[in-house]
Amino acid sequence: MALLELSNVHKHFGGLLVVHSLFLTVQPGEIVSLIGPNGAGKTTVFNLITGLYAPDQGDIRFDDSSLLGLEPHQITQRGIGRTFQTLRLFLNMSVLENVMAAAYGRTCANLAQIIFRTPGFRHEEAHIRALAEEKLAFFGERLQGYRFDQPAYSLSYANRRRLEIARAMITEPKLLLLDEPSAGMNPNETQEITHLIGQLRDQKGYAILLIEHDMNVIAGISDRVIALDYGLKIAEGSYHDVVTNEQVIEAYLGRKHEIRSR
Amino acid sequence: MEKFGRDEWVAQIEGRRKARGPWLRLAEQWQRVPLGLRFALFIILAAAVPLATDNDYVIRVAGNFVLYSILALGLNLVVGYAGLLDLGYVAFYGLGGYAYAYLSSDFSGLHWPTWASIPLVMFLTALVGLLLGSTSLRLLGDYLAIVTLGFGQIFVQLTNNMTRISLPGRAEPVDLTGGPNGIVNIDPISFLGFSASTVTHYYYLLLALLALILIVVYHLNNSRVGRAWRSLREDELAAEAMGMPTRWLKLLAFAIGAGIAGLSGSVFAAWQGNVFPNNFDVTLLILLYTMVILGGMGSLPGVVMGAFILSVMPEVLREVELSRYLFYGGMLFVLATMIRPWPRLVLVLVGVLVGGYLLKLAVMALWPTLVTTPEVASSFLGRALQAWLIIPPQATLIGNLAFVVVVPSLLFLSRTRYTIVRLIALIPTLYLLAFVWETRLAVEPSITRLLLLGVLLVVLMIYRPQGLLGQRRVEII
Repeated sequence: MALLELSNVHKHFGGLLVVHSLFLTVQPGEIVSLIGPNGAGKTTVFNLITGLYAPDQGDIRFDDSSLLGLEPHQITQRGIGRTFQTLRLFLNMSVLENVMAAAYGRTCANLAQIIFRTPGFRHEEAHIRALAEEKLAFFGERLQGYRFDQPAYSLSYANRRRLEIARAMITEPKLLLLDEPSAGMNPNETQEITHLIGQLRDQKGYAILLIEHDMNVIAGISDRVIALDYGLKIAEGSYHDVVTNEQVIEAYLGRKHEIRSR
Repeated sequence: MEKFGRDEWVAQIEGRRKARGPWLRLAEQWQRVPLGLRFALFIILAAAVPLATDNDYVIRVAGNFVLYSILALGLNLVVGYAGLLDLGYVAFYGLGGYAYAYLSSDFSGLHWPTWASIPLVMFLTALVGLLLGSTSLRLLGDYLAIVTLGFGQIFVQLTNNMTRISLPGRAEPVDLTGGPNGIVNIDPISFLGFSASTVTHYYYLLLALLALILIVVYHLNNSRVGRAWRSLREDELAAEAMGMPTRWLKLLAFAIGAGIAGLSGSVFAAWQGNVFPNNFDVTLLILLYTMVILGGMGSLPGVVMGAFILSVMPEVLREVELSRYLFYGGMLFVLATMIRPWPRLVLVLVGVLVGGYLLKLAVMALWPTLVTTPEVASSFLGRALQAWLIIPPQATLIGNLAFVVVVPSLLFLSRTRYTIVRLIALIPTLYLLAFVWETRLAVEPSITRLLLLGVLLVVLMIYRPQGLLGQRRVEII
């Protein structure tokens, strides 16, 4: 029984077909990588799943119910967390607040409780604070202690990526969508993030759908790899199968005889 | 001893920079005082104003300050936290005022008790806020500003013109708003047998409301809703993707802001006893925005401070003597911060004082007709200025000319790169500035105070774009 299932999903912008008849599944506890050249429609797939776009055709099912017609925040509350390719942190808020803010869907204090600071509200507040600290602790020393109250804009690029993952974690997802988690990182950090993604699955039990260009990351952790080109799925299978696939090589490098003819 | 990494060292730049100046150190100390204590101190200090004076004018000015603070806090919630550029805010204030006037005056014949009318007014304005908000859900940024600005204008137009409205079932057209004549003789606020009749009563009433609203806004800000509002301001799409219902949150911000404006509108109407359309025009909107921006968007003490400066300072500047102290004091302060090391400052000051005095002596000896002798001033500063400054017979004309000269010389001062030139040029410029002040500006306080406020705002926005107590915000890094 698949956790996420896209069946026959189409999406076009004007005359441009961005996603063409896509079938995609993610099983619980699985790490699936989405690869493809720039403009292949990978991020669009993420935006379709999270409800930022509505598909023209087809169905998206999560946890055995359709996500079509739901608002993005409702989809997040169902259990899909995401990060963004171009970081989208709440830059002028503190590190801790960034994470706590994303716990909105898990809290339920109403206005009266907030204004009068009832014990229930205080308890909830303390709870999500502890939760946020726990999520940040996942990344070791880097986002600890004095960092809590620093504005997010003071963080380095790699730390911002980590903070975005922490922020997605507190929404308590069953499925985590990571959009190029290693972009802008140095080789050491890339290796670390690869390790971390593995831990996210092993320790936290998330299923992970990953967009990535760095083949080392993909080779290291993917259970399954899906290659897109011009909105079409051109290959699916293990890392080895996909990277040796003729069509995938063609999508990235061009056809062999074209090279010869030069 | 804690381990102290390079990261941390970088992270504490702000703190180390702060620790330098004595003012900033003082501010730092103030930050350490517990929040509740700071709040209590402020309220006690404000509550002591009517005890210190029985001058109704002073209490009225203080009351205005408190009223503006409440309004600015409501605006800050919508603009500073939720990041919605609401330019129709004053319409909610007006709506509150008119609704209260309608419910409690001879105009409609209704005389509702306050405990019933004010909650109803708040509910009504919040509802209208919700409606306006809902039309604006699809609008972002500037577009929202245009629509809400239109709403504010429509409100003023309607109140001005809804004097002959044909209603079904009525033979004669009905006057709904009183037009430019407004609604007069509004009932005072009264509850539990107490009726607010004096300025002091209203002052305490407003202060109590301010305390309440400060607490409410503070609590809201430090909760899931406040964090969600600020997330919305930072990045709406990310907020939505992180599970926050952005539409609902926007509507909520609009409604709460409108409710606060409606509440202050009713108290204003009851206090003033009448409402007119021009109480709620765009001038007030600009003033409120200036308060929020000057004090620091998003900072509660900042907003209150902004309201204080912009409501009390124009009143202070009405007095020639007081504004004189403010002007020369301010000039001294600016010089003290701009000129270092201090011997240079002393040099400039002595140069201005002695130079001016010698100039006056010389002119008096050579061309006595060029100097008039005004009546002896009452204050020390006034007399000192008389001994130092030349006041010619055609003071107004020459003052105007000097004004024209002062502006380019100030520009020259700010552009020149040679310290010596700057220091020397500063001396006649300062003398000229004082001359312009005494001959032109001090004579017409109504214009001067606006001019000074304008200059203050320009300077502040250049040197502290985040406002007096605001946190500096970054857009994209």
